[in-house]
Amino acid sequence: MSIIIISSDSEEIEEIIAEKVAVAMDYNRLGSQILTDVAANYQIDPVKLSEALETTPSVFKNMPSRHWRHYLSCIEAEVFDRLLKDNIVCWGLSAHLFVTGISHVMKVRLLSGGGRNIGKIAEQKGITVGRAEKLIADELRQHKKWSLTAYNLDETDPSQYDLVINLEQIDPTEAAITITNAVEYRKFQPMTYSIKCLSNLALAAKVNARLLESMVNIKVQARDSSVVVLTKASNRQKRKKIAAIKELAGDIEGVSYVEVHVKKNILTDATENPY
Amino acid sequence: MSKPLEVLLLDDEPIVGRRLKPALDKIGCHVEIFESPIEAVARIDQKEFDIVVTDIRMEEMNGLQVFEHVKKKWPRTKVIIITGYAKMDLAREAMEKGIFDFIAKPFRPDDLRQIIARAAQALGTPIDLSLIKD
Repeated sequence: MSIIIISSDSEEIEEIIAEKVAVAMDYNRLGSQILTDVAANYQIDPVKLSEALETTPSVFKNMPSRHWRHYLSCIEAEVFDRLLKDNIVCWGLSAHLFVTGISHVMKVRLLSGGGRNIGKIAEQKGITVGRAEKLIADELRQHKKWSLTAYNLDETDPSQYDLVINLEQIDPTEAAITITNAVEYRKFQPMTYSIKCLSNLALAAKVNARLLESMVNIKVQARDSSVVVLTKASNRQKRKKIAAIKELAGDIEGVSYVEVHVKKNILTDATENPY
Repeated sequence: MSKPLEVLLLDDEPIVGRRLKPALDKIGCHVEIFESPIEAVARIDQKEFDIVVTDIRMEEMNGLQVFEHVKKKWPRTKVIIITGYAKMDLAREAMEKGIFDFIAKPFRPDDLRQIIARAAQALGTPIDLSLIKD
């Protein structure tokens, strides 16, 4: 069976449709409720994880880039770990941006349009309708910027998705039916290749999360139990960094071989911190 | 003793057939190997195989064309694609057309044996992988 990842310009709509689809398909749910587990597993403040999913790094917001990348990597690792179990509807974790190249993952984008009740938002926040409209427009702009900064992908680009539904024209129940029908297509069914790709991404994400805890400039690829880590280091620190990466990555369950490729980093030549 | 599973293995790289045939023999398959898709298709015209394992990228005919040919002639036959050029779009296209499974090269012989076992199960002629003697 398949995996459905739902994203939208409205968190509320995302959750409503995901819930309908999960009920109709009898699929498991994977939403932001897992952030408490991520926080516990990686010993991170859950508030920081939520913040990382909404804001771009900034020293003023007490979210340095290095921590931000690490928080996101922990979320990715946890999401991948759960996606390996299949039959899942996932939303609210930006998985549509980092779960890529998996043929049995169907990505859906919901355009809320009139589905977002501006009046209700204005009332809830005690602001004018005009102000609420501006607030929503700012939110959308901010999230597009976030997706570009975090994953170099524009989440508003329809070509990133297998199915785009405009809720201004299609009602939520019909949208859920459309999604459940589409995921039945054979092309979204798992196969040996797609399952292998997913488990490779899951292992790479686990290694990435471990390394980003203490390092920066890390990219990880995995194939079966072999892992390739791409990083940057000064000539002075190169050997030490390779050894540290091999030790940390080699310690992770499922990793049998670690290869490290280092590019010269001139900027760190002058610093004390090797990572 | 039950009838062996008839398998046609097509890959233009000779080493693939040489390496995989013994692995499939061990699970009781009767394997015929081909390097030319034209010759493989001619053989398919003569005989109904239970399973066809084919590469995708080949000179005279690609694996999906071989699949179309098999489906037209023997709808019951399960087709498994093996390829060194696996990509999501190709995997989806192959799946949509009706292939049984898709696996990226390189893979371990046991990976293919697992797929063959599932195909055998789907054909109603299950095989017992625990009997393999390596």
